[in-house]
Amino acid sequence: MRTQSEKLNPHEISTLLRGELSSIAGWLERWHTGRFVLHLAVIILGAGLYGAAMGWWRDPQQALFTAIKFPLIILLTTIGNSLINAMLAPQLGLNIPFRQSFSAILMSFTVTAAILGAFSPVMAFMIWNAPPISPETVQGATYNLIKLANVAVIAFAGTTGNARLFQLLARLGGSRTVALRVLVAWLAVNLFLGSQLSWILRPFIGAPNLPVEFFRDAALHGNFYENVFLSVQQIFND
Amino acid sequence: MNEQNPVPPQIPPRIPPVATPSGVLQLGDDPAERAPIPNVVAAIDAILRHPRRVMFQLRQPDAGKLIAMMLFVSVVCSLIYGVVAGTFSGGDQLWAAPVKIAAGLMISALICLPSLYIFTCLSGSQARLVEVCGLLAGLLMLMTILLIGFAPVAWIFSQSTESLPWMGTLHLVFWFIATIFGLRFLEVGFSHSNARSHAGFHTWVIIFLLVAVQMTTALRPILGTADTFLPQEKQFFVSHWGDCLKATDKELKSKVRE
Repeated sequence: MRTQSEKLNPHEISTLLRGELSSIAGWLERWHTGRFVLHLAVIILGAGLYGAAMGWWRDPQQALFTAIKFPLIILLTTIGNSLINAMLAPQLGLNIPFRQSFSAILMSFTVTAAILGAFSPVMAFMIWNAPPISPETVQGATYNLIKLANVAVIAFAGTTGNARLFQLLARLGGSRTVALRVLVAWLAVNLFLGSQLSWILRPFIGAPNLPVEFFRDAALHGNFYENVFLSVQQIFND
Repeated sequence: MNEQNPVPPQIPPRIPPVATPSGVLQLGDDPAERAPIPNVVAAIDAILRHPRRVMFQLRQPDAGKLIAMMLFVSVVCSLIYGVVAGTFSGGDQLWAAPVKIAAGLMISALICLPSLYIFTCLSGSQARLVEVCGLLAGLLMLMTILLIGFAPVAWIFSQSTESLPWMGTLHLVFWFIATIFGLRFLEVGFSHSNARSHAGFHTWVIIFLLVAVQMTTALRPILGTADTFLPQEKQFFVSHWGDCLKATDKELKSKVRE
């Protein structure tokens, strides 16, 4: 078992990415502040860099805002759902304490953020090659290509993070069925809150005809799901 | 010293739990389940991680203290969740919502306790009244603890939406999820009392759900505001929710037109 005073190796991130379960499960046995700070730093740096690349197309200030907002969503989702996630795990058959469920989720987000960070130069290169954002560009193929590339990278990073989390849960619980049950429950609550937080913290890319701002004026008016429902209604009314 | 008679170990060897012929472990077979629950924190931990420990302790002669602790936790947790629900409207609802949620939950449990005991007896269960009370208190405690887990999410939505039906639905969904886990605890406890059938229990679940949902209408408004603390008009929850959904439909149509 590792101790608090033990030196932390930054290469542990690659262990996490490789999914070396014997090491990762060992990390969960005892709280290590240094490791927590390392994971936090990877999330802030990785998701921040990707956010910056995404926002750069609109304006350097938007890049800064999105660089702050991306890690903020991840961290607020982890903290906001930490209680319910810790409570759901034992109810669904995985008897792990709060600290372990919190660390496991943080580790999966660390993997996701590391992948996002690794893709940020690619995204930045793509943005650098794109024509400046304008109402016309938003109508054209470039905007759709950038949107799709973002969706693909975020989906890949998220899926990999959750795959690693599933493997870890299966090892901790000794059953793939229990691991799947817990993962689905955690995913559901994290997606539920994460979507709303993304809605509150919009914009990320930024619209060319709207000013660059951290929050929209109507950030706290309405919610993500209401808006989706409204859009569906609009389709049928048209 | 007699070398041929070594000192016996102070800690007795751990006896592995024995399964019954049906494969189900009896309560207390695992020594960990026999550990007493001395305080509120231990009670919360036990109901979340070792519910069988709570069930075993409810069969002991001094179960009254544990039941009182569980009811205390339920009241405190429902008051906290109530404050979060009250932040949607603010003002008087900051105290009215917690009072109504805590009172509503306790009154619903009290209303349903006799029928639970009757159904338990009719099912051939050997559970005493105090054990049934304890299992119901366990349901309330688990349910309200889970609601506390949902509270941060509920608060974020309370601050970012103005739609009353939306918030009502969200709270109902959270309550429903928490209740499912609470009822599961109750059913496991029920299955350890030698009940011949679960039909009576399942009937009681429907009664409990209907009473609890009706309570939200009887004590309205919990989320919105009104001139009086309690409603002036009697209504069943189906018609109340029908009215709310009609109002939402009008609201959505006006938004779409805008």
